Formats: sequence, structure tokens, C-alpha cells
Amino acid sequence: MKAMSGSETRDLAHRILQMTDGADETEVLVASEASALTRFANNRINQNVSEQNTQISVRAVLGKRQGVAGTNRLDEASLRAACDAAVRAARIAPEDPGFPGLPGPQPVETVNRAVDSTRDFDAQARAQAVHAIVEQSSARGLNAAGKVRAAQHAIAIVNSRGVDVAQELTGAQATVLSMGPDSGSGWSSFLHTDASNLASEALGASAADLAERSANPGSLEPGSYPVVLAPEAVSDIIDFLAYVGFSAKAVDEGRSFMSERIGEKLMSSMVSITDDALAPHAMGTTFDYEGQPRRRVVLVDEGVAKDSVTDSYWAARLGVANTGHALPAPNAYGPMPMNLEMAPGDASLDELIGSVTRGVYVTRFHYVNVEDPISVLLTGMTRDGTFMIENGRLTRPLKNLRFTQSAVEAFAQCEGVTKERLFVGTEEGAVYAPGLLLGTFAFTGQTA
Amino acid sequence: MKEIISAALDAAVSAGASYADARIIDVAREELEVASGVVEAVERTDSFGIGVRAICDGAWGFASSSLVTPDEAIRVAREAVAIAKASAIVAGPPVILTLVEPAVGTWTGPCLIDPFTVPVEDKLALLVATDEALRKQPEVSITKAHLGFYREHKWFGSSQGAFTEQSWVESGAGVTAYAVGGGEVVSRSYPTSHGGGWQQAGWEFIEGLDLVGNAPRIALQAAQLLDAPYVEAGTRDLIIDASQVALQVHESIGHPTELDRVLGEEAAFAGTSFVALEDVGTLRYGSEHVTVTADATIPGSLGSFGWDDEGVPAQRDFIIREGLLTGLQTSRETAASIGRTSNGCMRADGWNRIPLIRMTTISLEPGTWGFDDLIADTEHGLYAETNNSWSIDDKRLNFQFACEIGWEIENGKLGRMVKNPNYTGMSPQFWGSCDAVCSRDHWQVWGLPNCGKGEPMQVAHVAHGASPARFRDVQVGVGR
Repeated sequence: MKAMSGSETRDLAHRILQMTDGADETEVLVASEASALTRFANNRINQNVSEQNTQISVRAVLGKRQGVAGTNRLDEASLRAACDAAVRAARIAPEDPGFPGLPGPQPVETVNRAVDSTRDFDAQARAQAVHAIVEQSSARGLNAAGKVRAAQHAIAIVNSRGVDVAQELTGAQATVLSMGPDSGSGWSSFLHTDASNLASEALGASAADLAERSANPGSLEPGSYPVVLAPEAVSDIIDFLAYVGFSAKAVDEGRSFMSERIGEKLMSSMVSITDDALAPHAMGTTFDYEGQPRRRVVLVDEGVAKDSVTDSYWAARLGVANTGHALPAPNAYGPMPMNLEMAPGDASLDELIGSVTRGVYVTRFHYVNVEDPISVLLTGMTRDGTFMIENGRLTRPLKNLRFTQSAVEAFAQCEGVTKERLFVGTEEGAVYAPGLLLGTFAFTGQTA
Repeated sequence: MKEIISAALDAAVSAGASYADARIIDVAREELEVASGVVEAVERTDSFGIGVRAICDGAWGFASSSLVTPDEAIRVAREAVAIAKASAIVAGPPVILTLVEPAVGTWTGPCLIDPFTVPVEDKLALLVATDEALRKQPEVSITKAHLGFYREHKWFGSSQGAFTEQSWVESGAGVTAYAVGGGEVVSRSYPTSHGGGWQQAGWEFIEGLDLVGNAPRIALQAAQLLDAPYVEAGTRDLIIDASQVALQVHESIGHPTELDRVLGEEAAFAGTSFVALEDVGTLRYGSEHVTVTADATIPGSLGSFGWDDEGVPAQRDFIIREGLLTGLQTSRETAASIGRTSNGCMRADGWNRIPLIRMTTISLEPGTWGFDDLIADTEHGLYAETNNSWSIDDKRLNFQFACEIGWEIENGKLGRMVKNPNYTGMSPQFWGSCDAVCSRDHWQVWGLPNCGKGEPMQVAHVAHGASPARFRDVQVGVGR
């Protein structure tokens, strides 16, 4: 498994830049990936795949017009054809008076986020990791499923105004679902730059422990209950806040919970959410898809709506700083935070549970979706370890519950935050999330 | 291409594979979007590569590369076999494939006007005109109008002697009007939401949609929704439009009847199924009005092909007959578990992905009702159109869907408009409450170009035939 190196992607990007004739400005993105994923289910490896691919994308600019073309064919003729197609599209596209042109170069901090131990994490190593994980379930009569994945990326962005950046990344990921014969199920996950940090046995044991503990789940009347959310569940809510609310485009268009409410206290003082690609635990590139430095942005500060993320287009349109959160062109979504984290508190998960007289504990959510973007009204199910909390202790396991709840209102009721956080997602976009105690959370149904 | 595929298959067998197949896929896409008066996308991309799947030591391996040459095909094939050998470290029972006659031949999807030859200027002019028509409604502050085109050319060969070549074109379009005001944002879409309408067809499909002609209607409805109330929480008889029936079929019949999910093969990601193997032939899935087919032979459907990605010919099969579960969607590996051969549901999202069990055209067969008669026959109900949000549990039992727009039904007449009406239920009970399905006059195939499944994630192009249907005593207005 081998991706291009950072310098190889940069050289290719420069070569493509030179090929583009007839544009006022040109931007080239080269993304090379080699990845492999070993999937397991029913205590055996059931799928085992690898891929190598290099995708290039050319954005041509003619005045206020833009066109984009891409290919994964790297021969001279195909690259030239992509360049020509981008210029042709730009010639035809109607003008966008708000388009400010491509951004110029900015200093970008260099951080090493690629390691050989992940590059070398081959099919044998992944199979050994799966073996250690599965043993923890099979030895207890449980049934394990999940994945062990290793990936390497090299990404380069250059443009005709002098932007010239490249970075290599590696990522290792594992997830484990353990299921018991009496409807118990448990979950654990791992995400890191370095595959050598994967403690397979412990990860498998953690999911199996939860599966044993959640056997024979029971019923709960729908209603609003205090809830303790483990970090995986919290990461889902933060993802949806970002998806519908943290982009300058969404805020400007009036469809974000922060629209016309910047500076207002919308959540509990315990809630602070930032996006920071330079944080020590972050795994993604330190530049965005326009080659601009990803700057730290405080989105929610002690409950107060503070700011949204921008790219060159929305920064120019709104007359604010470019925070470096562009997605690849063409981008209909607007800027997006990719390195989200919630500030830690000082409690442990056990302490949060210990403070609840009667409530619900949620390991993670499943199939969450937005019913109303402005209140961030979400519905979804709990999964893989839902418990009743009674008098400060997890008592009986519960069948999976459906919730229908505004995320903003839920975070307004935040009463406790754990010190320990978990990194959830992929190397290209993850959330560093703590566990939370929320004073009230609306459960509207339950599965069989 | 045949030489490259043969080189891969020979290399896999030489390396120890007991079975191998190889696919070379060449894909072109074009995306155009105009939003709120601004062109947001004019993009053309292509992707080309080879993937090789191999069984060795009774276990699967797969490798792929964007470099399509005989030497690289041989390298990829050997890597697939090496990965299969690693899979055998944590093996279950050896993989056994049910028999299939080796497929040989070519297949082409229907397309009258190749959309890739239609000038981009004409496409943008259509989107700009549609966008302008949407923005004439003052309350509509955000608009989206998009066109998408997809062309795939696929060569498949197996070590059992199959070799097929298939090509087709897909065209899609959709528009959405958003009205923002009073701390709310509401949306109306045409012909449906989440990607619009799609068919295996050419530019003629886009012309037939009349995007410009439909824009004023949906813009007006978006404006009206701003002032509309939510539906009162409670129980009503629910009638949903054909596009929402299509999504309901997708989530609560399509996915739970995928045999890999039933067997637990997708447990850790998308989940399992409430359906068990022994339910085939015994489970009462719905009322006698519910008959569901899996059909890969419908001309123009996104779920149609000549052969699936295991070389199994396209076919039509019953999943539910008059409410009784009679079949599942299967593959060569899984079909034996219900004592059958594959009904041809294995498809991969590109050269760099393995085939998984994916829906073809999973359809609720038409009933006999006229739509107006159905409304007139409903005393206290809700009619809802166009999906807005969807969620279902990991066994595909407990679901909650919201639509963009609805109208209360009182004494057989459509009444007050309501916004974002949602409803919830449990799959078999919900389908058991179905007491009326509209006739073939109201039935159409809805292309769904974005069905996610698997790790790494794969996005399949599937379809559902559906007409409006009625469900008794459904819980609506959840959490409002």
C-alpha cells in the first residue's frame, strides 16, 4: 500500500498548473490515497480491501467565472484534457459578482502527521489486530463485528497566485461492536495517527464488557429524562451543530441557530466548542482546500455563540477574516469546520452518572437526522449500551430509545462535562468530545 | 480490456485463488448547480480503475488500483490473493459460491439524447431560468437548482469464464426553494428532495421534468409553509405521496430484506435486520395490500442492469406477496443460507469497492385506488408529500420520517396545510396498517442516487416503484 509522497503530489500539482492555458487564475488540488480496511462480522474477517488512487482537480478562473474538472488518469493527455475542460467550463459559467478571485499564499504551519507504523500496518497486522479483538467476544460466547483500517494520504494545493502547500497524513481506525445472545450489545472505537497505539485486546474487551452488561434490555416510558451521554454520542450532536450551524454561509442565510444571535448566550456556560487544526491531537491538514491556514475558531464560548468559520468566498462577501475552512471546489455547502472539539470539564463519567437520581445513560446514537435546522431539532436512536440510571448507578439496560430533541436546547441544559475526551471520526474530520450530563432530553419512542 | 482482465484472473489463480473476478470501470460525471442566483458548480470529473476480488484459503481478499495496465492488474491480483490469505487468519466456514452459468454478453441502458453532448450553456440556461422562477416569490430567500449526469462503462470477468460489458447513462435534476422567516426555515422540492429525480436516461428525462414550469408552484408552497402550523400530535390515518412511499419502502423494506444484513454481515455500521432467516415464508410483513418486488429489468430504472457484479443476470423476484415475506435480496455467497441461488443484487460503487447486496428496483406494486377516491374515503387523516428527514433504528424497526408539506384531511377533504409533518412507527405494524395503495395510473419509479452502505462507504444508485398509499392510525406530530 503506497500513496504518493507530499513532494510528489506537489510536483504533480505544479506540472498541471503549467499545463493550464487560457485562465486568469488556476488552482490545482492533488489528493493521493492508499488505504486498506479489514472488516469482520460473526467473529471472522468477512471483507478485506485495499485501494490506491490519486485524484486531481483543476479550478480555472476567468474574471468572475469559475469551472472545475477532475480526473484520476495521470497520463499527459488526460491531465491536459482536465485542464482544458476546467477552462471551457469557466468560459461558459455565468459571472458571480461576489467571487473575490483565488486567495494568495499565507504562512502555513508544518506539522508531521504521518508515521511509518501506520504505513506499514499491512493485511497481516490488521488480521492480527482483528484476531485479538474477536477473541474477547468469541471467548465469552459473544459475536463481534467491526473494522480495522489504515490509510495514508498526501494532499497538495497550488495556485497561480503562489499558494504552494502539501502535507502527508496517516490514520488508523478501529471499531468494535459486540453482541450477545440476549440482545446485549457494546461498542468501542479507536482513532489515531499512529497504528501502533491500537490496543486491540483492550478495545475488544471494552465492547464485550458492555455487551454482557446490557443483556436483556427492558422498556422505558417515553418522556424527558436527565441523560448522561458518552463521548461517541456527544460527537454526533456536535457534528450536526457544525453541519447545520457553524458555517458563515448558514449563518448569513438565516438558517443557522446562530443567525442574528452571535453574542447571545444560547447554551450552558459549561459548553465551549472550538475548531482547531493545530491542536496536538488533531489529525487533518493544517491548511484548507484553498491552501489557506486553518485558524483556530471559537464557535461557542461558555455557552455564548461567538463565531462561524469562513473560506475566501465568504470572508470576502462578509468582510471578515478568512478562517481557512474551505472544502474542495466546487463547494455548495460553504465553509466547514473539520477539527472540532468541546472543552473538557473536571468530572469523570462515573461522577456524572453518580449525580443522577433517575435518568438515562447513552453509549452512542444511530441514524441521527435533522428535522428542523434552526433549532437543530434532531431525531435518532440510541445504540449499543443504553441504561437506566437510578440513584447514581447504572441499573437495568434499556432497549434502544428514539429521541426527538433540539441540540441547542439540550446543550443549554448541560450540567456536567467529563475531563476525559475521545477522538471520534476519521483522520480527515473528527470531533474530540467529552461525556456530558444534560438536565433534560426528550425520548419519544422505543424499539422492540 | 479483456486482456487486462484475463491477466488479472490468471495471476490470481496462479497465486492460489480458488475463485477470482475483476472489474474495470470507467465513470464520467457532470454536476451543475445554481443557488440563489449564483453558479455554485460547473464540474466534470472522471474515474477509471480496476478491482480484483479473490477467494483463497476459503476467505475473501480485494485490491484495486487507478492504474489500468496488464502489469498493474497482475500486481493488484496478487495483492488481492495475499489479502485473502491474511483474511484466513480469522476465518469462518470457507466461502462457497452458489452456481451460476458464466455470463457472456453486452448490455446498454436506454438513452435517447446523450446528456454529455448537450452544451453546458443550455444546461446552465435551464438552471438559471429555474432559479429565477423560484426567486420571484419574495419569501423565498435561498434556492437551489441542479443537474447531474453519470456515465458508466464496465467490463467484468471471472475465473469461471464470465465476461460481460455494460454501459449506461443516468440523468438527474432537482430544485428546492427555502423560505426563511420568524426563526424558521422551510423547504419545498421538485420532483423530490435529496438529489431530485433520476433515471437511466438522457437529456430527454430532464426536458420531461419541466423544471421552470414547476418552480412557481413549489416557491409559493414554500412561502405558504412559513405561516402554516405544525400538525397536532396524535394519531391519524396517514396518506403519503409516491415519493415518500418510495423512501418508506427503501428504509423499512429494502434494507431489512438484504440478506447480508439479516446474516449480521453489516452489523457494526448500518446494522442488522429484524428479519430472521426462518421468517422467509412465514413472516406477516404487511397487510394483503402489500406486495413488493425486487426487479432489475425495468427499462430506465437506476436499479436496472444486464448482470450484477457477480455476473448474475438481472431478474424480477418477489420479496413480499400480499403481506407475506417470500424472499430476500441475495448474493452468490449468501443465497445458499435460504436454500436458493442468487437473485442478482450484488453491486459495487466503482472500481475500488467490492460488490455488496444492494437494492435493485424494490417496488410496492400498485393497488386499485384512485388518489381522489382515497382522500374522499378518509375521515380524519393527514396527507404528506416529499421527504424532509429520515431515521430508522439499527434493526430497521423503529422509524421516524418528516415530510416537507402536508394537509389535514377532514371528512374526505384536504384541509389546512401543515409544515414539516412527521410520523413514527414500527416497520411490520406500519405495513400491516396499509389498507389502500393507489393504482398504476399513480405509480412511477423513483431513482434514488445516494443509498449509503458498507465500509469503506459505498453509494449505490437504486430505485423504487411506488404510488400513494394509506396507513391507518399512525402517530404523527412527534416532538412538536
